[in-house]
Amino acid sequence: MAARVNTVRIPSPLRDYTAGATQVSASGATVAALLDDLERAHPGMRFRMIDEQDHIRPHIRVFINQREVNALDEAVAAGDEIHLICALSGG
Amino acid sequence: MTLSASERERYSRHLLLPEIGVAGQEKLQAARVAVVGAGGLGSPSSLYLAAAGVGTLGVIDHDRIDLSNLQRQLLFDATQVGASKALTAQARLRALNPEINVVAHDVELVAGNALELLRQYDCVLDGSDRLATRYLVNDACVLLQRPLVSAAIHRFEGQAMTYVPGGGPCYRCLFPESAAAAAPNCATAGVLGVLPGVLGALQATEVIKLLLGIGTPLAGRLLTFDALAMQWREFRFTRRVDCAVCGARPTIRTLADSAATCGGAIASGTERVNPQQLRALIARGALGADGAGGALGAGGDALVSVVDVREPHEFAAGHLAGALNIPLGELARRLAEIPRRAPVVFVCRSGVRSQTAAAIASGDGFQDVADLEGGLIAWAAQVDPALEVIASR
Repeated sequence: MAARVNTVRIPSPLRDYTAGATQVSASGATVAALLDDLERAHPGMRFRMIDEQDHIRPHIRVFINQREVNALDEAVAAGDEIHLICALSGG
Repeated sequence: MTLSASERERYSRHLLLPEIGVAGQEKLQAARVAVVGAGGLGSPSSLYLAAAGVGTLGVIDHDRIDLSNLQRQLLFDATQVGASKALTAQARLRALNPEINVVAHDVELVAGNALELLRQYDCVLDGSDRLATRYLVNDACVLLQRPLVSAAIHRFEGQAMTYVPGGGPCYRCLFPESAAAAAPNCATAGVLGVLPGVLGALQATEVIKLLLGIGTPLAGRLLTFDALAMQWREFRFTRRVDCAVCGARPTIRTLADSAATCGGAIASGTERVNPQQLRALIARGALGADGAGGALGAGGDALVSVVDVREPHEFAAGHLAGALNIPLGELARRLAEIPRRAPVVFVCRSGVRSQTAAAIASGDGFQDVADLEGGLIAWAAQVDPALEVIASR
């Protein structure tokens, strides 16, 4: 099967890893695979989102389109838009 | 309560709306709302709530007005720099609407006083600029069963959500916990001045809807705003059965529990050093020239380790003598290279990556961790203009 490409929206606290880009492309059949692909293109980024136990860090949320992701093995379909959301503290 | 003739005139545009009318305006008049933080978000929201005729507004802030606040905090003007935010806000809001009661709480909201303070209000608007305060306010609202309208901002982005007691997901359902350093605030990351205006006005809208019982609250939905793309997005999220405060078996039953979840880095809230403080720390012992990053005291004990978490090319362009270079992305697997016997100060270009690094080290059990506020840019500006600090990309 040809590799599919998904759009990934990057929250501003993580844009240092994407040279300021607000969205990038990555591919993977699951959230985990997609994050691995993201890490290859943007080294260091995965660790900001995923801890050593392979859990999504508690101040990060991942959404597929509008749906919340709770586990890294959730499937990603062609055309899905991935949103990475980071808790913001500014007021 | 009934509306006076002058109030009928003042609120006439509300009275024309069938969704509000006299009955609705009297609900607003009877309502008590706490605004946590008289800053970028608290300014527009409290101005709108006062103008709308919310009968009692409590403004909670222990800070003083800084000149750098005026870029976005519209409650204040240039003659008030140095004055109490809570008291100045109180005077401004009273001047805007003498018909309402404004209470100034010139205190820091902490675990010891949050329940007592927020209990006096029907609804809470969170415009604080620290994650620890956000969790404290959320947990207090869940424990007190008070609705909460929360928003936060960063650079050109904002996010907002509403907690409605009785089943709605809370802030912890969205973000169970967080190290302070993981989410830089406006002082370290910068913010477009008008951005809190957008989000603060949205918060005031939500509060007014909740008080009136009209419309659909922003419950179970995270609304995000990207000012550069001029895009709003909505993400659905649900209550977590295992939420520490609103879940089936909560582990947070008091605010002391709440404070404990934030860990040392948040609880102290003072884990940042400015360039002068770092210079003083370094001056107590020459930094090790062996690259081990240890400043050695008279007894040979390291006084401080400086760890530079920028990328190697940034480090190569210019760095503090004796600093150890571990790029942020490699930090977690290279923590063993940092001596644990001495305090560690993380530095980076602007003070954003170093905050994350401090959280990582703190989470790994390092006891005495700080980071350089404003980063090496601030160091170059205040201590050593010869230090070359290049862009990170």
